[in-house]
Amino acid sequence: MASKAKSRWADDEADAALEAQLKKEKEEKKRLKAEKARRLEEEKKAREATAAAAQAQAQAEGDGANGPPAKRRRISPERETAQAAAASDENTNAPKLLRFGGGAFGRPRSVENYDKLNDIEEGAYGWVSRAKEVATGEVVALKRLKIDPKDRGGLPVTGLREIQILKDCDHRNVVKLREVVVGDDTSRIENIFLVLEFLEHDLKSILEDMPEPFLASEVKTLLRQLASGVAYLHDNWILHRDLKTSNLLLNNRGQLKIADFGMARYVGDPPPKLTQLVVTLWYRAPELLLGTSRYDGAIDMWSVGCIFGELLTREPLLQGRNEVDELTKIFELCGVPTEESWPSFRRLPNARGLRLPSSGGRATGSTIRAKFPLLTAAGVGLLNGLLALDPEKRPTAKEMLAHEYFRQDPKPKQEAMFPTFPSKAGQERRRRRETPNAPARGQQAADLGAVDFTGIFSGREREERGGGFSLRMV
Amino acid sequence: MSHMSNPLATPDQLFQRRSIDALPIELQDAIFFATQCLTQAAGILLQLPQSVTAQANVLLARYWLVEPMMSHEFSDVSAATIYLTAKLSAHPRSPRDLANVYAYLLSRSTAFFHNPKNPPPPPPNDPSSYYLSEAAYHAFRNRVLALEARVLCALAFDTHVALPHPLAVTYLQALEFLGVPKDRIAKKAVAYLNAALLSPQMLYLTSQPNALAVAAVYNAARDIGAKMPECEWWEVFDVEREELGFLVVGMRSVDGWGRKMRADLKGMMRGAERGMVTRRDVEDELRRRGVEVVVVRAASGNEVDAEEEAARRMDEKMASLEAGG
Repeated sequence: MASKAKSRWADDEADAALEAQLKKEKEEKKRLKAEKARRLEEEKKAREATAAAAQAQAQAEGDGANGPPAKRRRISPERETAQAAAASDENTNAPKLLRFGGGAFGRPRSVENYDKLNDIEEGAYGWVSRAKEVATGEVVALKRLKIDPKDRGGLPVTGLREIQILKDCDHRNVVKLREVVVGDDTSRIENIFLVLEFLEHDLKSILEDMPEPFLASEVKTLLRQLASGVAYLHDNWILHRDLKTSNLLLNNRGQLKIADFGMARYVGDPPPKLTQLVVTLWYRAPELLLGTSRYDGAIDMWSVGCIFGELLTREPLLQGRNEVDELTKIFELCGVPTEESWPSFRRLPNARGLRLPSSGGRATGSTIRAKFPLLTAAGVGLLNGLLALDPEKRPTAKEMLAHEYFRQDPKPKQEAMFPTFPSKAGQERRRRRETPNAPARGQQAADLGAVDFTGIFSGREREERGGGFSLRMV
Repeated sequence: MSHMSNPLATPDQLFQRRSIDALPIELQDAIFFATQCLTQAAGILLQLPQSVTAQANVLLARYWLVEPMMSHEFSDVSAATIYLTAKLSAHPRSPRDLANVYAYLLSRSTAFFHNPKNPPPPPPNDPSSYYLSEAAYHAFRNRVLALEARVLCALAFDTHVALPHPLAVTYLQALEFLGVPKDRIAKKAVAYLNAALLSPQMLYLTSQPNALAVAAVYNAARDIGAKMPECEWWEVFDVEREELGFLVVGMRSVDGWGRKMRADLKGMMRGAERGMVTRRDVEDELRRRGVEVVVVRAASGNEVDAEEEAARRMDEKMASLEAGG
């Protein structure tokens, strides 16, 4: 009977199949890697050969012509001397000019260069799937734009803006757009794919699935990366306008990247008139809810504050059912706006008819401190700042990066030390931990026989102590 | 760095201009000039900022290095590019506005392409000549939207255009406006930059914005007689003397060349009471020159028919749907 009991613990067929599949994938990857290395080696050799040939040729030409070519005629005398000097030592005397490489333009490649692996998700903007580039074996995310043929405005402006902005961006915390590819049938353009770098996770599904919340040090790492990405965007006059956990991607090396720029746009200073219908409701700043049409980076910082709260509790911070309910939740958490806390608040379009409880009686201040009892004073200070009702009072992304919170212990965890998670997008799943079944009826009781327990507590003295309780800091 | 750099034309793309089309190069230049002028005129009537219209000019120039000129009507390409850049900017314009503006510009009453220095008797303003029927509007919109997608696809959806205008102002500030009235020299420099958009040398596709800005500042300073620094000041802005010289000459030649081009174009549109050259004009011109037009006709003719057929069928379907609902 012992053998039968044992079989319940052992790997079942599904596990074996999974194992085999993983092994196969691994082997495939290995093969591709080897192939790539070989190709690179070949290319390098070829390049070296051509470079050597070109150099030899240049040498020969230089000997023949003896000097710069005739078309580089200079008129000013000092240049002539410079030229003469340059003949002896070109590198030191030639003016060092910056060259701005902008690349070229031309037709896009075909989507046939990629093999689809699996679908990841479908959103309002399009379909995302995981794919592999045939030539290199690299895994990418393909995002197909949704095109409504009944749309009287032509191609969707959100998709075009996303392409335009992502092409201009180059930052480690912003998702990279590698290229845009189209379907093979170019007579009718309806299959447009953005080729984005693939990241294993989005923050939202991790938060939903994780059994324990992030450690304080992990929250800091994530938040610092988010702030540095947002700082880059704002530095380049880009407002994201839809920051939320499901738009933040995370890879298995602990790197966070901001994605989904469908709502994003370039702005100027002073900010132009913009639509107030931006940002998912739960992350929408109060000035947007009150109908402002001139706003700036502070609306993104409010979303960052909401994300901060969500990272701590694994639950979206302000889950309003509609705009009014959202405002109610905001005032409950951050207090009711007053003349001191938000001087210009009454001038906003939707604030005129607002009736607020008078601040005379009960406390109408912020309850953030009480809601996050385990957060340090600096953390609460930062969260309070980000969730300041008055957009003027919120810190900019740059100010946030310099905040005391990131310098305090525990320090932000190194990205490489970040825990890994099963990737939903990569079709991995958490290993089911099966608990043993109750003993079957009529089963024979196991005979323990002679067992030695003496070793169990040896080495106890060397173990670390502490961490048995946490202080409530109010 | 994106506001300092543009994707440039490759030598292959520039070379192909001479082989991609059956069109002689001077005809290509004439079409290029007329269409860029049309875009500028439309930009003014649509009340778009010059930054948006100039981007449309640059995108159109890029597009024509990828696809042959004769594959679509020139005015449609102009409308599609300006629609696209306006849509991506803070000043979108509706297809309806666009259709009205282009209907006027292409009508008999248009003031477009009449020499302002030597005006002919002003065209009689006949509103019926630019009245836009609903069917004509739908056909126009469908053509422009289809072309918008084509243009985007030909450019791999890269709509990035860095204009040299703001750089020129910044450089002038750095040079303390060379001791002359600010607005005078700045206006002159910007005028050079705008004229360069029309140049058949496609200066915006062969030089980076910093070089264009320096050349415009140089030209403006010379015209006004401002004293430039003795040293090689252009190197401060990362421009080589050689490139500067090329651009200075290129920009100065646009004015005279443009005047001649206007006269040539008028000759090409013999007898037509229009401001804008069309594909039919070009085909007639080719026939007059004895160049075999058959090839061009066949290629473009089929495509047009197929497109018109598709548009017509779509309209019919829409009509039946609307009647049904």
